[in-house]
Amino acid sequence: MSRPFPYTFISCPCADTPVPDPARKRRSRESPRKPTAEPPTDPDHHKSNTQQADEVGQSDEEDDEQTFDPRSPRSNFSLYPPEQLLYCEDCHQIKCPRCITEEIVSWYCPNCLFETPSSMVRSDGGRCGRNCFNCPICTAPLTVSTIESVTGNASGHGPWVLSCGYCMWTTLDIGIKFDKPTNIRAQLQKMTDSSPATGYDARSRQGSRAFADLKSPLSNFASIDEQSAATEREAEREVSNEDASSIPQLGAEARFAALKNFYRTQISETSNSPNDPLSSEFGFSSPGALNRLMSLYASSSRLSGLYGGNKKQKSKPPVMREALTAAEGLRIGSGDSDTAIIERIASAECGWDGVASMSQRTDQSPDVRFVDELLPLPALLRTKRAKRCRSCKHILVKPETKPQSTRFRIRLIALSYIPLPTLRPLAQPAMSPVTPTASTPDLNALSPLRTYHVLLTLKNHMFDPVRITLATPSVTPGSVATKVTVLCPQFEIGANSDVWVEALQNATAPLSDRISSMRGGEKVPEAGKVWEKGRNWTTVVLEVVPGTLPGMNTEDGETEVDPGKALTLQNDEDILEIPVFVHMEWDAEAQLEQQNVGKASKPDDLVARELAYWMVLGVGRIQPY
Amino acid sequence: MSTLKPPSLQHRSSSSHTSTGPPKAPLKVDPSATIADTAVFQGTYPVTIGAGTIVHPRAKFYSFEGPISIGDGCIISEKAVIGAAPGTSSSSSTSSRPSPSSSTRPSPTSSSMDLAPSSSLSRGHDSNSTTTPTTRISYFVTIGPHSTILPGANIHSAATIESLVTINRHADVGAHSKICSGCQVPVHGIVPEWTVVWGSEVGQRRKRARTARDPAPAVVVAAHVTQSPVPAPAPEGKIIEDARLMVLQKEREVLARMIVPAGASKRK
Repeated sequence: MSRPFPYTFISCPCADTPVPDPARKRRSRESPRKPTAEPPTDPDHHKSNTQQADEVGQSDEEDDEQTFDPRSPRSNFSLYPPEQLLYCEDCHQIKCPRCITEEIVSWYCPNCLFETPSSMVRSDGGRCGRNCFNCPICTAPLTVSTIESVTGNASGHGPWVLSCGYCMWTTLDIGIKFDKPTNIRAQLQKMTDSSPATGYDARSRQGSRAFADLKSPLSNFASIDEQSAATEREAEREVSNEDASSIPQLGAEARFAALKNFYRTQISETSNSPNDPLSSEFGFSSPGALNRLMSLYASSSRLSGLYGGNKKQKSKPPVMREALTAAEGLRIGSGDSDTAIIERIASAECGWDGVASMSQRTDQSPDVRFVDELLPLPALLRTKRAKRCRSCKHILVKPETKPQSTRFRIRLIALSYIPLPTLRPLAQPAMSPVTPTASTPDLNALSPLRTYHVLLTLKNHMFDPVRITLATPSVTPGSVATKVTVLCPQFEIGANSDVWVEALQNATAPLSDRISSMRGGEKVPEAGKVWEKGRNWTTVVLEVVPGTLPGMNTEDGETEVDPGKALTLQNDEDILEIPVFVHMEWDAEAQLEQQNVGKASKPDDLVARELAYWMVLGVGRIQPY
Repeated sequence: MSTLKPPSLQHRSSSSHTSTGPPKAPLKVDPSATIADTAVFQGTYPVTIGAGTIVHPRAKFYSFEGPISIGDGCIISEKAVIGAAPGTSSSSSTSSRPSPSSSTRPSPTSSSMDLAPSSSLSRGHDSNSTTTPTTRISYFVTIGPHSTILPGANIHSAATIESLVTINRHADVGAHSKICSGCQVPVHGIVPEWTVVWGSEVGQRRKRARTARDPAPAVVVAAHVTQSPVPAPAPEGKIIEDARLMVLQKEREVLARMIVPAGASKRK
């Protein structure tokens, strides 16, 4: 793991219970009964098969009870730093980013912090519709600045430009100036919008619809077989006419819109059911296309018998044609344009610096090849997101809608429910009289077979005291067997009460605390005893004896290194990670809906709660000899 | 304030005790220049500073390898280093060498060129002008904080050197160019005029618009299709630079008032 030692991760249980499968649960519940009635000489093989299946289910169940292995490939997906986890109050479970769903609360521009209504987001292309632009060269934000003082215009009327403070790019580099300092996006849109519709807004549906009607006069034929030749000739003539009149090519966006409209009308007109909702909704009529495909199959000799039923529908299906004119979105690439581009690239005044880089071209029109064709990019919008529990759909995180606010209305982070684990090594007592001062062991080089003491502090953020039970395998899983002992596996952590109340209550306590902390240097870890205890935290000692690395021989004599084992060592085998099972119990105040009769024995509406999870303590790296 | 004091004290001691400290460079400063008290001038060759130039506190001028000439109306920001200190000259030249050697220029020639001035022989021979590189900074140049201009560099007028830039030996930065923050110009590197070097390290380059540019093709196409006139030609790109220089002039005026000018002893 990339974190520095020591670190702690908490495992979200969602990885072990991917889908709540009711069938499996039922089976596993039945399974304990079955083994009693298991005769080895059962003639019925079905039963034994089901039995085996049951046993598989049972063993699955037992897998859940097994030690959490931080090295298993699956655990990569369930281990999170404690501060990244959320907690669902209804499921009473830790929630990791995998077991929540996100929904967008608001869209805003990170530059001007204006919220964009979600209805506008799509039409704006997910970018700021106001004045926020990024430099097409270096992506720095652009500022709107006036050049009136230089051009000598009256104040407030001067032409305006977008300029980059970093690379000194301005819109004058692409020969553009703006008449107003506001609504730059609309001004730029107006300038670059190449759709022939009168309205400057290319997205206006009215205009594009009229455009589509206008440019598909040839698509009314049910079948173009007999007329195709004539049509093509006509179209060619049309194209040549257009070339003669030198109507310029459409811009990339307009051409795309034209092509889209053209194919939409083609599909709707060639499909057998023009009223098909699919075609009008999505532009693709599956029944028409399907019919055409099926008739293809039907006409083939082999399959004619199979689909013979369709034979009677012999009328030729209408055939779609391709775009034929520039108005339909056709563009015929000329060889000259390519050579012109090549010549321009090779020319001295363009050179390497004049060609737009790949990263500069990603957000631009595909035709852009050179730096001076790049247009300023409106700033991308960002989102604020609410998070919901995937299973109970309750909201876990809900930020304020306003982009300016960093507050959250709801934020159920796991650390306010589960104790925060922190780890630190205990300074080693002086090993020899030469080094009298206790030294902190180097966690990046733990020597094998030496006893280390690690202090695990759990800090409670709840307002109720918590009883904790820690469990850890005596030997860590994996090929490096490290012995781990929790010296005090059961302890209590105090409530996160008011600091001052606590201080006033035991005014005399601090002195004794101080004395004990002064003696901390000589304190010896004792089994069954809490190392240190504070207002809402408790520290216990873990005794760790790092195991020997594979391929490393402790016995002197043979020091052969198994190449296979050395290979596995590369896979971070030398990192000492301890899985610890945490079981916490506390008495919480019952919420209204959870007050039931069964819990009436508890006084003051207290409900016993418990939560259990695995956590992984990254202690350090074992040093090879 | 405590962090600011020690260097100034050190500087005063070095300037007062010229016999023990490093030699103080012979200064030729225009009376209208503003030089902060704590600017450091060391070396054997003369340092010339032009009219209206602002030198911020703790800027360092080391003229051990050759004369330094600063033109009119420049701003040298704090902690900028012009030239190479004698103690660090060998180390800095070796440290700066790996990056230029990776550039296109053959390293043997550059290293031999670089070693010659830094050798102790050149200090005695003032007449040998070929081995004394002049560091020339022309008019209206801005040098950002903590930038380093190594000996022999030539920075033409109205160039902008941002912070943390290294202009290596014998590099040439053209007029109205800009070296963005953190970039480097290699040894003997040439940045043409009206060019921006941006990015990191050697960086990418971009030509600034100097004349009126044609509108972008997208605009022309749009105008053709919509049958509307092509928007009026935009003004020349030069006016942006004019505006910048006007702002720079104002900045200099303000700075001259803010930075307490050096005592009469500093001026010649």
